Amino acid sequence: MIEVNGKAVDWEEGMTIVTLLKKMNYTFPKIIIRVDGKVIDKKQWSSYQINDQAVVHAHHLIAGG
Amino acid sequence: MNKSIEKMRASRKVLARYEYEPAAIDKGYSGKTLYIDISNQTIKAKDVTNQMKDIFIGGKGFGLWYLWNAIKPETKWNDPENEIVISSGPIGGITQYPGSGKSLVVTLSPLTNSLMDSNVGGFFGPYLKFSGWDALEIQGKAEKDVVILIDGDNGAVTIEEIDFQPGASHLISEQLTEMLADNEKDKMHVSIVSSGSGAEHTNVGILNFSFYDLRRKAARMKQAGRGGTGTVFRDKKIAALAVKYSSLTGRSNNPADPAKISKTGVKITREINKFDNEQFRMRQIGTANLMTPMNDYDLLPVNNFKYGSHIDAVKLSSDVLRDRFTQNMPDGCWIGCSLSCCKAVDNFELKSGPFKGNKVIVDGPEYENAAGLGSNCGIFDPDYVIEANFYCDTYGLDTISTGTMIAFAMECYENNIINKKITGGLELNFGNAEAAMELIHQMGRGDGFGLIVGQGVRRMKQIFAEKYSADPSFLQDIGMENKGLEYSQYQAKESLAQQGGYAMTNKGPQHDEAWLIFMDMVNNQLPTFEKKAEALHYFPMFRTWFGLQGLCKLPWNDIVPEGNAQTDSPEKIPEHVQNYVDLFNAVTGRNIDKEEMIRQSERVYNFQRIFNLRLGFGTREHDAAPYRALGPVTVEEYESRAERYDKQLKEDVGIDPAGLSTEEKIKAMRKYREERYETLLDVVYERRGWTKNGIPKPEFVKELGIDFPEVMEVINKNL
Repeated sequence: MIEVNGKAVDWEEGMTIVTLLKKMNYTFPKIIIRVDGKVIDKKQWSSYQINDQAVVHAHHLIAGG
Repeated sequence: MNKSIEKMRASRKVLARYEYEPAAIDKGYSGKTLYIDISNQTIKAKDVTNQMKDIFIGGKGFGLWYLWNAIKPETKWNDPENEIVISSGPIGGITQYPGSGKSLVVTLSPLTNSLMDSNVGGFFGPYLKFSGWDALEIQGKAEKDVVILIDGDNGAVTIEEIDFQPGASHLISEQLTEMLADNEKDKMHVSIVSSGSGAEHTNVGILNFSFYDLRRKAARMKQAGRGGTGTVFRDKKIAALAVKYSSLTGRSNNPADPAKISKTGVKITREINKFDNEQFRMRQIGTANLMTPMNDYDLLPVNNFKYGSHIDAVKLSSDVLRDRFTQNMPDGCWIGCSLSCCKAVDNFELKSGPFKGNKVIVDGPEYENAAGLGSNCGIFDPDYVIEANFYCDTYGLDTISTGTMIAFAMECYENNIINKKITGGLELNFGNAEAAMELIHQMGRGDGFGLIVGQGVRRMKQIFAEKYSADPSFLQDIGMENKGLEYSQYQAKESLAQQGGYAMTNKGPQHDEAWLIFMDMVNNQLPTFEKKAEALHYFPMFRTWFGLQGLCKLPWNDIVPEGNAQTDSPEKIPEHVQNYVDLFNAVTGRNIDKEEMIRQSERVYNFQRIFNLRLGFGTREHDAAPYRALGPVTVEEYESRAERYDKQLKEDVGIDPAGLSTEEKIKAMRKYREERYETLLDVVYERRGWTKNGIPKPEFVKELGIDFPEVMEVINKNL
């Protein structure tokens, strides 16, 4: 199990940030990803492996109205 | 056109003329405001005091201060005493930083019977200031339609009767611009404020502020959209305002530190050039970039805010709208704006109404228009949305209120509260674009069922309960208005913070105070009541600041600088907050910091709250929200999110949904959510320095320095 934005989410072997975003249906183009407190650059999203028990923050920088 | 312009020029009858020496602008201020009483053609100058600059700053602050002094507690929106005040702000009119052309319009609203403030782009506000006036105050009512002209080039203000085609704001802007300009290029120096026939027949009239687009050779328009400012304008028999100012430069504000302004402007323009395409695509799509993410995250208002997404929303997606906008145009609503987000659809052939067959420029659609006129009415046809956008603008109708009003009428129709006999034959089912368009035309013409709809959701609830025996509690639940103003187009149901962000506002549920949905619902950055309260203090105060200065909020967070992710509070965009502090200091020569920035807003925000109190509002009961804004009202709403709601009932409320009917689950959910909202009110009021009844505490008012005797009298009477 991992935590994403404070909520429990099932972990899968080989989970990357890209696969996690797809699982969460997080489609917004401007998201800051922190895994265990560390900001992960967008260039690494398809390769960065998320471990079980990780704490992930997917911070959408959406400006709104 | 030329013949009719000659006729217009020949028809000009000057009722009053005031000549003046335009004051030199000193660090963002002319030091003078213009007062006009159109009941008796009084035109005079007033001084801007140091107290006004220190406490009220400009923009909305000046508007509120003047209105406070002009009216009595019992003044109504259509009394001659009511004023329309238009003011930019000390930073307004700089050309080096994007979004620096905004004005605030302040008046009493026909929808809420209380204070309304509405921000607007276009050239009028800055040109007004550079013509020598930090604000324009209009009081009284004329006997016949008048035009107020401010000639900043020659130092003259006139009140005139002019014969021109009324009723359609796009034509008024075009004709008056043509009449006042010496040649094509000179049209850039003219700005017109007008409304349309819809403002005469509804409570949701807007003011259109023009800006001349040299490339398109057209007077385009931005809107002071909320709260019926245009209805007040037309009730006063003001046909138009006009300003002409030809001497704009990058130093027109005579700033204290012009180099700092330029440096800050260059920095953000570089950011926009580098990052806009990969961030929010404001230059390509404007605010309509939100259509796709709102639908993806189940936040798009659908069918009177019942649902958050729809399978047909792809037809109104951000990219569909992008493809309708003409690209690579200088689409800023003030000169020099590099965010350039006022997208337009060119050569659009109208299919209905008095201008059927004409090919027009449509300013928009913005997100609010597409969501309000479109998805919230169950309509996903971009052609309809674009045409409805055009007619709302030219009739002078608030697109946000119009969308929410039509959506409410549609839900009432589908629940047999109203029928074809009542609607005059209109089949107001969700998705019926033809019927919705006819309603807009009726509001423009002043006939049919449009006359009922145009009174607003609050009045419709009263009428339907009194005349058609509708269940008032159901109407209350689904009627998306707070304080009398219709909700703007975001789903707040699953975000407690945004529920407060809408209903705890000074003027009603417009998202200019706070937009917290993602922070709360998606990012989960506000998991506790204390964090929600902190957000519902900081963001309304921060966002109020733009309306004091003459600034647009969009460049604050619709472009994000490099390194923002590494800051402590990336949602605040700290580097841009510092930009604004630097701009204020560079223009005015003062030395504020981020804390004083918030304090500036707190003074005006709390003054507005107390002013509401003075008018008989401004307490806790007026911050109540319709239940549709807090949770699912109907069975179909609950069942559309059954998994989420059942989980919440089990985990958060402690009730096992198994074996319960949907109605029982709705009831249990409602009790939980309404109690949560009351708790939110308590914590937010405490954080804001207010009593449990939502009244600013005397000691806090003193601390802010707005403890004028008449202010304390209002507070003490209501404690």
